[in-house]
Amino acid sequence: MKDGSDRAGYLEAWLYNHSEAARRSLWRRVHAPGQTLILVAVLGFVLALPAYLWLLLENARALSAGVDHQPRIALYLDLEGGGALTGTAARIDALPGVAEVTAIEADAALAAYRESLPDPALLDWLEDNPLPAIIEVLPLERTPEAVAAMEQQLATLLPEATVISDHEWVRQLDALHAAGLRVLLVVSALLALGITLILAVASAAELRERHEEIAISRITGATDRFLRRPSLYGGLLLGVGGGLVSLILLGIVVMMTRSPVEEAAVVFGIPFAFAGPQARVGLMLVGTGLVLGWIGARLGSAAALRD
Amino acid sequence: MIRLHRVTKRFGCGTEALRNVSLRVDAGALAFLTGPSGAGKSTLLRLIARLERPTRGRIMVNGRDLGTLARRQEPEFRRNIGLVFQDHRLLFDRPVHANVALPLEILGFRRTEARKRVRAALDKVGLLQKENAQPLTLSAGEQQRVGIARAIVHRPALLLADEPTGNLDPELSREILQLFLDFNRVGMTALIASHNLGLISTLGRPVLHLENGRLEARHVTQPRSTG
Repeated sequence: MKDGSDRAGYLEAWLYNHSEAARRSLWRRVHAPGQTLILVAVLGFVLALPAYLWLLLENARALSAGVDHQPRIALYLDLEGGGALTGTAARIDALPGVAEVTAIEADAALAAYRESLPDPALLDWLEDNPLPAIIEVLPLERTPEAVAAMEQQLATLLPEATVISDHEWVRQLDALHAAGLRVLLVVSALLALGITLILAVASAAELRERHEEIAISRITGATDRFLRRPSLYGGLLLGVGGGLVSLILLGIVVMMTRSPVEEAAVVFGIPFAFAGPQARVGLMLVGTGLVLGWIGARLGSAAALRD
Repeated sequence: MIRLHRVTKRFGCGTEALRNVSLRVDAGALAFLTGPSGAGKSTLLRLIARLERPTRGRIMVNGRDLGTLARRQEPEFRRNIGLVFQDHRLLFDRPVHANVALPLEILGFRRTEARKRVRAALDKVGLLQKENAQPLTLSAGEQQRVGIARAIVHRPALLLADEPTGNLDPELSREILQLFLDFNRVGMTALIASHNLGLISTLGRPVLHLENGRLEARHVTQPRSTG
């Protein structure tokens, strides 16, 4: 900096330099509307797809978490005599982590079953009671891990009993969700890599179009940083544009799929409202677009300037 | 200002553009470089501006040994050099004033100061009234003068010109060379390649003659005269 040793002067020149670079890159984008639209649309699609999948996964998780489910562990026992059942129930009740224990005698179970039948006389055909005695255990903790641990503990305590937890499906859903998230992460990373390379190629092509200006500027003492600055602003512009397009796409897709999903939930008897993207998702999409745009432009300009 | 010691430049194809050239141009001096096409004039200028690297030999410019100049130091080095080309190399996507302002933009000048300097440089080459014109609408002579204004707008210590009068008629050529003499008078060192021997011999400045990559007579330039 030859002129203006003062800080304010330097800052003014720096700001002017950056605003000029931004203005030029905007001008270039506006004057190549076809290419700009294609790039913005591709970036929009690439951002919208994982965002939509993520939204689906989040909704699925909300579905499983939203059902206020008290996990139950049922022990089916082949026991003779009520005393044994009460004793076993008391032993289980004494275990840490148990909230509640209910013992149901085999006869009581049969009686309850008889009442539920439209024609109780049907059961008279049975020679003896085929139902086992049941001990229902409600664990204190509701997490799938705690329920599984309790199940394990009960199975060890009563090896002759059949232990069945109705919490299994929550665990399965959680496992599916975790696997889904992992798949989504990998797919997103691949898509991000792909779009970054596309943006890099576009940025390199744009720099090659400016080759005369770059040659003259280099001869005059321009640094690479100065030369790639307009490209970086171009990348940021494309990134923001792509982020906004992805938001619009996401909105459209959610609108189109919301009612069928909710109707399906009703069929399954689950009251459920499909949650659309929140403001934070919007910010994340635009932010991701910005970052990918910048990285793409940085890679592309580095390659083009090296050539 | 410029010192070359036994400089050889051989291109990939095997052609030797310069052979064992030694030269010294003092600060504040102005010298002409002549010779037929292909004699190595452009190569010599490009070596001094560090647009090429020598195959052998040592080059010092403005007290810097170009052999030890790292790539990232090149921009800083070039900011002290003004370059004029035969084909002007103007940017046709922007008006005259923006072309001239390019070096100032790179140097990070404030806008107001840059505008002042651009106008001063255009005034110097007699094109102030064309500052908003598009380069394509200018004549060859005018385009060359815009190129010269761009080369001197940041007041470099060294001006290198490669056939600046190449496509111009004798009258315009004389005007252009007179501009270089004017810049030299205010302290700018200048090395000007030209094959217009008739014209430069009338200017009373040292002439270095290149032929087949050899500097025929190794001139040591005279200290700056007032001519």
